[in-house]
Amino acid sequence: MLSSEEWGIVALSLKVSLVAILLTLPIAYGLAWQLARGRFPGKVLLDALVHLPLVVPPVVTGWLLLILFGANGPVGRWLEAAFGITVMFRWTGAALASAIMALPLMVRAMRLSIEGVDRRLEAAARTLGAGPWQTFRSVSLPLSLPGVLAGAVLGFARSLGEFGATITFVSNIPGETRTLPLAIYAALQLPGGDAMVARLAGISIALSLLALILSESLARRGHRHAGGGDGA
Amino acid sequence: MALAVAFGLANAARAAADPRAPIVLAAASLQESLTAVADAWARLGHPRPILSFAASSALARQIDAGAPADLFVSADEEWMDYLAQHNRLRPGTRVSLLTNRLVLIAPAASRIRLAVAPGFPLARALGPGRLAMADPDSVPAGKYGREALTALGVWSRVERQVARGENVRAALALVARGEAPLGIVFATDALASPAVRVVGLFPATSHAPIRYPVARLARSDNPEGEAFRRFLLSPQARATFRRFGFGLR
Repeated sequence: MLSSEEWGIVALSLKVSLVAILLTLPIAYGLAWQLARGRFPGKVLLDALVHLPLVVPPVVTGWLLLILFGANGPVGRWLEAAFGITVMFRWTGAALASAIMALPLMVRAMRLSIEGVDRRLEAAARTLGAGPWQTFRSVSLPLSLPGVLAGAVLGFARSLGEFGATITFVSNIPGETRTLPLAIYAALQLPGGDAMVARLAGISIALSLLALILSESLARRGHRHAGGGDGA
Repeated sequence: MALAVAFGLANAARAAADPRAPIVLAAASLQESLTAVADAWARLGHPRPILSFAASSALARQIDAGAPADLFVSADEEWMDYLAQHNRLRPGTRVSLLTNRLVLIAPAASRIRLAVAPGFPLARALGPGRLAMADPDSVPAGKYGREALTALGVWSRVERQVARGENVRAALALVARGEAPLGIVFATDALASPAVRVVGLFPATSHAPIRYPVARLARSDNPEGEAFRRFLLSPQARATFRRFGFGLR
């Protein structure tokens, strides 16, 4: 049904989104933890900053990435000099753009699940002699895990759909940065490209639907697990 | 019935009293020049045309989907043909307006020297860098670019290094910012940006002649659209286009 070119586009999209989410996961969890439990000055500001990519025009995010991570940008130059890594025009750049766009959704889902952890269970662990790290590892983390996975899947879905920041930052290179949305955009401009648009759009919708259902069912399970009372 | 008459009268009254600004969809490479022409038209007391710039391919698709615009200026004949085949143009309004050339550009500070000729060492000049150009599958500047590089026998060697912009100005911006060491744009685009310099001019024989046709759209009901189309062909407008580096038909 799909041509090998189209399979390539799907595979690239999955790779970009997967890497984006794996990279963001620990960062998002740390931020979610701070926002759920932390008490520090500037928490409101941090909260707003984390959510910024959700509301700022994606083309602004793409432009900022371009001037920071481009070959002439301060971060881009440093990455190149220190580690020999270039993200400009590379699929890694597409992953970076996706990661930033997915971060707010991931932090939101994780924060809810961390806030839902019954703190009496943590207190009980402490009275039984567990240290803070052991309490986190054996109580807090497992209880919030379904929410963490729900957030990751949601972020994955968001990152599959990322368009504006990506095309602004790493342009539209077949096999390198041309993910599903960019391929659909390019095919839209081809006379007779409608069939390809329809196929790729169908895949986009199917993948998103799958991810949303998975994320929602994980979130529900998480609620049952960590929720204080209904049989946890 | 009475309602229809009243509606018609109100429309006629509005058209007479308050001419509506025409909507013009134009190739991205016309940004500065067409804006200047529209300004001149407005200074003559006409409503200022509303200009929307994008890749000709993107605009053609929008028109085919029923975009409520009055005029279309394309950067190649093919997209105009496409709309003609779909009966989206008003018969007898299509005119070839301008011509352009294709150039190889580099960032202004670049020291690259290259003569654009058959088999020229473009891949070596690029090194690991990218060649910025508009999408060669659909956008006119990219299509001409691929045609020229193919004719010169170097396309297959650089094909994998092309960074595709969604229109010619996106490609121009990549070179202007120094993200791509070389790029292919129209001569007028290179003229519009002080941050790039022309490395070489593509031989006119290496690609189809670059022509910009204009036409009024079939669904345009605004007489201002036709008036502005005629103004585009006037000596005054043509002098402006020439000032921005375009050739005249």
